[in-house]
Order: sequence, then C-alpha cells, then structure tokens
Amino acid sequence: MKLTRREFVKTNAIAATATAAGITLPGMKEALANTEDTIRWDKAPCRFCGTGCSVLVGTQNGRIVATQGDPDAPVNRGLNCIKGYFLSKIMYGKDRLTKPLLRKTNGVYDKEGDFEEVSWDEAFDIMAEKWKAAMKKDMAANAGKPVEKMTSTVGMFGSGQWTIFEGYAASKLMKAGFRSNHIDPNARHCMASAVGGFMRAFGADEPMGCYDDLEHADAFVLWGSNMSEMHPILWTRITDTRLTKDNCEVHVLSTYKHRSFDLADNPIIFKPQTDLAILNYIANYIIQNKAYDKDFINKHVHFKKTPTDIGYGLRPDNPLEKKKTGKGGKLTGISFEEYAKSVEPYTLEKAHEISGVPKENLLRLAKLYADPKKKITSLWTMGFNQHTRGVWVNGLMYNVHLLTGKISQPGNGPFSLTGQPSACGTAREVGTFCHRLPADYVVKKKAHRDFAEKIWELPEGTIPGKVGYHAVLQNRMLKDGKLNAYWVMCNNNMQAAANLNEETLPGYRNPDNFIVVSDPYPTVTAMAADLILPTAMWTEKEGAYGNAERRTQFWRQQVKAPGEAKSDLWQLMEFAKRFKMEDVWPEDLLAKAPQYKGKNLFNVLFENGFVNQYKKQTVTDERGNEYANDEMEAFGFYPQKGLFEEYRRFQHEGVKKGHEQAPFDTYHKVRGLRWPVINGKETLWRYAEGYDPYVKKGEGIRFYGKKDGKANIITAPYEPPAESPDQEYDLWLSTGRVLEHWHSGSMTRRVPELYRAVPDALVYMHPADAKKRGLRRGMTAKIVSRRGEISAQVETRGRNRPPEGLVFVPWFDASRLINKVTLDATDPLSKETDYKKCAVKILKA
Amino acid sequence: MSEYNLCSLLVHAHQGQMNRVQEMLQQRPGVEVHANTQDSRMIVTVEADNRREVAQQIMDIQQLEGVLSASMIYQFSDDIDEFEPAQKRMSA
Repeated sequence: MKLTRREFVKTNAIAATATAAGITLPGMKEALANTEDTIRWDKAPCRFCGTGCSVLVGTQNGRIVATQGDPDAPVNRGLNCIKGYFLSKIMYGKDRLTKPLLRKTNGVYDKEGDFEEVSWDEAFDIMAEKWKAAMKKDMAANAGKPVEKMTSTVGMFGSGQWTIFEGYAASKLMKAGFRSNHIDPNARHCMASAVGGFMRAFGADEPMGCYDDLEHADAFVLWGSNMSEMHPILWTRITDTRLTKDNCEVHVLSTYKHRSFDLADNPIIFKPQTDLAILNYIANYIIQNKAYDKDFINKHVHFKKTPTDIGYGLRPDNPLEKKKTGKGGKLTGISFEEYAKSVEPYTLEKAHEISGVPKENLLRLAKLYADPKKKITSLWTMGFNQHTRGVWVNGLMYNVHLLTGKISQPGNGPFSLTGQPSACGTAREVGTFCHRLPADYVVKKKAHRDFAEKIWELPEGTIPGKVGYHAVLQNRMLKDGKLNAYWVMCNNNMQAAANLNEETLPGYRNPDNFIVVSDPYPTVTAMAADLILPTAMWTEKEGAYGNAERRTQFWRQQVKAPGEAKSDLWQLMEFAKRFKMEDVWPEDLLAKAPQYKGKNLFNVLFENGFVNQYKKQTVTDERGNEYANDEMEAFGFYPQKGLFEEYRRFQHEGVKKGHEQAPFDTYHKVRGLRWPVINGKETLWRYAEGYDPYVKKGEGIRFYGKKDGKANIITAPYEPPAESPDQEYDLWLSTGRVLEHWHSGSMTRRVPELYRAVPDALVYMHPADAKKRGLRRGMTAKIVSRRGEISAQVETRGRNRPPEGLVFVPWFDASRLINKVTLDATDPLSKETDYKKCAVKILKA
Repeated sequence: MSEYNLCSLLVHAHQGQMNRVQEMLQQRPGVEVHANTQDSRMIVTVEADNRREVAQQIMDIQQLEGVLSASMIYQFSDDIDEFEPAQKRMSA
C-alpha cells in the first residue's frame, strides 16, 4: 500500500495512541513498515510543569514539527497532557526576541529612554560597567568586615526552569565570583515552604516516595492541589487506580470546587487557612482512638514544638509585624503526652466550627488516616506552600503520616508536588537560594563554605557567610535602593510577585538601579527592564531538569536558537569574562590566591582545570544522529558536562549523603533516574530498608537526614491569616493557574490558538455573590483590594466554582495583573508568599 | 502545499458515558474516533488545515460533559502537500 506523507503521519499518530491505550489495531504495523520516517525523534522532558513527562521531539529541516508522548517514559507512558500540544510551538512565537535591547536616548543608555537594538558587546559593556560600579562600592563598604557581615548591592533572580547546569553556573558566579548571596529563584514563590517542612521534619529535602505510589496506594488525599488541571498525567494515573482497584477512594480538599472534584469520593470545601485546624483534628482523632503506631513512634520520631504568633513576613513597620509576640522557628523538645495535649482542643466540633466543613466529611477523612489497613498517599501543591503558615502546615501533614507510620513504603506517604520543571533539580538540589550552596549545604555554616571553597579552589573566606535577600526581600531592597545591579533570568517576576504596585514596579524603575532581564519573549518583566537579553529556550540548548519524584532527566540540543538569542548558560559564562579578578575581589583575598592575579572570572570559575577538562566532542544518540551544542562550540570545551561533574563532587565528597547522581553520560542514555543513584541503581523509597542503600539491614526505617535517624513531629496551632474579609473588603481572593496556560503565560500566551481558546483571565465567583453586587456572568467587574485593582469578566458557571464569600482569579494574564491586588504577606519561616488569601471587594465596572 | 495539523488524543469517558461522548466527538469537524476500549477509552484524531481549529477542538474536547480526561499522544504541524508520497524505506 502506498501512503502519502499525510496518511503516514496520521497512521503513526493512531498507532502511537493505540500503544498508549494498551491495544493493538490490525494492519497498522504493515502500513508503516515500508515507509521511512523523515522526522528525527529524540527524547526531552516537557518544558512546562514539575511532573517531568518525557516527550519525543520531532525535528525536520532544523525545525520542530512534531512531538509525541514518550512510550518508554516511566512517568507518562506515552501520554502527554494537552499543554503538550503547544510544546513544539512555544519557540516560534512572532514576537520572539532575537537581539539585545537597551533603553537609550540620543544613542546613549538612559533609564527613561526607549528600547533600541544593540550588539552583545555593547550590552555586556554597559552591564559590566554597572556591575563594576556596584562592586567597587561594596568592596569599600566591606573593607575590614568578617565574611559573616559582608553586604552586596548585586543581585540575581533565577528560576526553577533553569537547567541544572545554568543554576549551578549562576550560583557559582554570584557566590564565588561576585561574592553576593543575593541570588534566589522564583521557586521561592512555590516551593520554599515545602523545603522548610522537609528540613525541619527530616533534615533532607524532597519526597521520600515516588510516582509508583500512585499505583500502590488504596486512597489519595489532595490537600490544596487541583491535580486534574495542574498535573493531568499524574491525575490520569490516580484515575486509573481509582477505577480499577477495589475500595480505592479519593478525598479532595480545597477552598473552592474545581475539576479534581469530579473524582472525589469525599469532597471537602474548607475556609481559607483552616487546613491547620483540620490536620490537628486528624492527629487528635488518631491519638484519641489509639490508632497511632506506638512502635514506629518510639523508634523513629521525636516530638517538638515551634514558636507561635510569628507574624506574616511583611515589612517590619507593618502594624501586624509590631503586634507579634513570637519569632522564628527554633524547635524545643516535648513529650508525646505534651504533643497529645496540644492537639486535644481540635475536636470534631471545633474543627467543624473553624473550617465550615460538615462533620461527616471530616470524620470520614480522619477515619481513613486512622485505618491501619489503608495505604494513603497525600498530595499537595500551592494550597499548602503559598500559605503564611506554609512550613507549619507541611509539618502538620508529616505529623499525621509519622503518627501512623504511613511513610516511606510503597503507596504510603506524604507527597509534595512541584509546579516547575526543575524546581527540584535546579532550585532546590543545586541550591540557587540566598541561604544555600549546592547539595543541601548552607552559606551560614563555615564548614559548608570551606567545603565549597575547597571544591571550587577558592581561598578561605571567599563565599560570604550572611544569608542574602530572598525573593520578596529583593523587590523591597530594589525599591529601597539597596540592590542596584540586578539580573533576572528565566522567569517573569514582575507578573509573578505579589503587590506589584507597591513593591516590584517601583523597585525596577528606581533610578539607582540597573535591571537586566534575560528572556525569549517581551514579558511584563522584560518591558520593565533597562536591558533585555534575548535567550535560547528548551531544546535550543542542551539541558537537564529534575522533577518532583527526584528524577533527573537530560536532553540534547535539537535546533538552533533564532537570531542572536543565546542560552542562559552562555550568558552567565561569557559575562564572567568581563571581570578581572582585581575588579571583584579585594587585595587581601587575592593575596591568598596569587595565582589568580591578572586572570578573569571566567578563567577562575569555568576554565579552572576541572570544568574545562571535558573536551569538545560530537554529541550523538544511540542511532548515530549528530546534535549541535552551541555552548561547547563557543567555549571550546563541554561546559554542561564539566559543570555537572563538578556539581557531583558536592554530592560525593562531603559529609551529607543520599543526594548522589549518576555520571553525566548515563543520563543521555536513560529516561531519567531517581536519586540517590548508588552503583548505577536508583532509589524508589528513601529511608526504607530494602529500597534505600543508606538504610542498613534490620533498621527498617532510618530518617538519616537527621543525625540520630529520627524525624520530628512538630506541633503548631491554627492561627488566622494576615488579612481576612471584613465589612468593606468582604470577599476572599485566591489566585492560581488554569490548565491551558502555564504560570505567567509568557510561553503559552505566545501561541495564538491557545490565546484564543482562553483569552483573558476571568473572575470565578458564586452566582449569589454576583447577584448581590448586581453582576451576571459575562459582565465586567472590578476587583479591588487595599493595594490595587483590576477588571475582569465574571464567570459563575466555569470549571472553578467558589463557595459564597470567595473569588478565584488566575494569574496568567499580563493585561489583568492580579498581583496588583494581592498582599505580599509571606511565611516568616520560608519567606514564601501567600497568594491564596487576601481580602477584596467586587464592584460593577 | 498547505499546512497540515494533526493531533491524536486518548479520551477517557466516565463509566457508562462512552457511547454518548463518542457520538459528540464524531459530530465535530475533523474529528475521528478510530477505536475504543472496554474501559471507556477512545482513540481520537483531530485534523485541520488551520492550527487554531485543532487547538480549539482539543480544548473543547477535554471540557466535554462526560469526559474524564483527554491526553495528547502525537502532534504534528508543518507544510505538506496532500498528495506528497511518503518516503520509501531503504532496504536494509
């Protein structure tokens, strides 16, 4: 049979879909057998969420023309969610940036000027001039100070979408080169509370379980996560388990009804913030009914309490901050009895009263956790994390699993999901935070700095010892003029950060500051900058991401970036060449490493004998196809490999164990591996004997992130949010995402067909609330807070159905910036913003 | 030469609703249901000369009443002639 190309493509599509469905259609194989696929296929992790689906990327004539779900991928088994349809198109938006743009008047840089195209040379010239001026000032201010007191006016805002290599290079450039800890990722906005919860309970970041739990569990509980829309592929796996396993049940908790409720056996709508009370009620129920695992607790758990009434992470002059009586998160030991007493007030009555949830629903949930025969996986995303008590609420979830011993076993465990493709792999594991060094080490501890300085071959005292500015503080410090040379990479923080009107925009436009934004597209953030650098994205470069189940995945460069766009990695390394060591380090430091005199930062950080030992080579796949690597071409060595191998030294040569990744070349051959990878073998359930090589025979469970191998149950009470509805601002506002757009929409909104399908953000509200305000579906409403206002169309019947008293607005829409309205209240422990709760009023526009 | 856009989906219907969903799907222009399974899943293709139509269809399909989930499996868009023959495989 002769096929046309169209028929061939279609037959392939049908065959792939049949394979994913697990069925065979007759005649398919024969039809395809005599025809050659002219598309080159190669694997890459998806560019969008934290699930880490693998896709096959189809390239023809230097362009990506097709994609398909990777049938060999353990995560997604040949499926993709519908966002996958847009993957091949995100790089081809009409307004793609291809040249650096600098604000100029009469041919010279002017902060009030208009954007003009400039060369990379001119872009880096002005940028280096501003950086050097800032560092000169810093060096004078730091003269004679110990490293623990050093300050800096240079900052960087990075991303959970950076590749692992980019995050590592950025961290090294900032902390070792520019000697500033003011580097933080946008992952601060989504994962910082999860990290805080993990560190306090287990002493090591990231989940103990993996996606295999989705088939092993008997019950799933969603706490503040709309997986159906945000993690559709994982939701598909849960759906399959729910529909095929006897007595499997799904409980869904949220502050408004969303699509995941379609599958809910126990749907629960609770009042914002009262998840704290519900979790304490469950713990109390377990104790009252003696359903806790006494043996597990004795062997593996300590009981602790945390300071209370700790404020809301607002500016210190805010009245709410002046009122607080407690501070920080220093834990003190308590007995089991004291713990039991602390949760005793959270009776069914009380939990019902605080949360507004019917008693039978609460009781059903508590009974589920208390049932020793049920294997339970609890899942959450931003509902827990974007919370002024985010670290607490993550901890209260661990309390429930630790009390019952339902943890670190197939199907049993708390599972913190992520929103960005490499929030885990880059932001958290490499540690591109203002307090971190690679692989869970921290800047505050001298021993950790010494260790980093040893690997990086730096003189003692190079890395500053004071924690830098976190994401929210960076915007405040820009506004206050304490951060002056600022580089934003791979994110859209003008749109993403809360309280845009009062903090972010005044910070970027402060005349003392020079703001550089690297992006593929003219986002809201780019347009607020002074210099825009055009950036290569996704498969226009070689990359690596780490997903929510500790799986590290690599990809090869598939196509060329357009025009003069360059990867973040190239930008970071090339910019380093602009700095003589004498520009960035003071004389006394340089005297300790005289071999670096006269060299530049690129020589010291990247051409250091280790990173550049990996020579230029041809990149090929197992079928013999050859791939470009533009960074290798530019620098003459294999930078991705060199940086990754240097990063691995942090995992293999230090005191901290359990973070090990495989050698670089391995990842180009496999569909990812879940760390720790020991002797080539990945780890499915951490801390569990038989699965985790660090747990010895006979130990059963060992939470080895803590010295004595025991995890912490940490009690914390219900405390109210920073702002609640009152007489004037009488509604709750919650913000979030929708399926078709991903985060701020800077990629997905470039795809015209997608833009048309969900053109503008809507305000989802209860019909009764709309009616009370003289509004109907489709009318325009004003959403007003104490900080700002936006207009949006009213939706009363959509996929998101809030209860009376709450409205939901997605944040993807650059023309309706909901963060003009939100409050920059943060968790004082994690510094993560609470985007889910503030008070607004709604008026007819 | 014109732009050819194709997307294949695995559409999972709520139990007992597959026939109804299949009927709704088949009424849509450019949409074909090629097979279904005992557990209410359907192999679906969406084709159009215009990219927007395909995108609109898949958005609508995942929102259809009775659809539990719609997963994308394979997507193609490029210029090809309707009658352009596929390349013969070279004999090994």
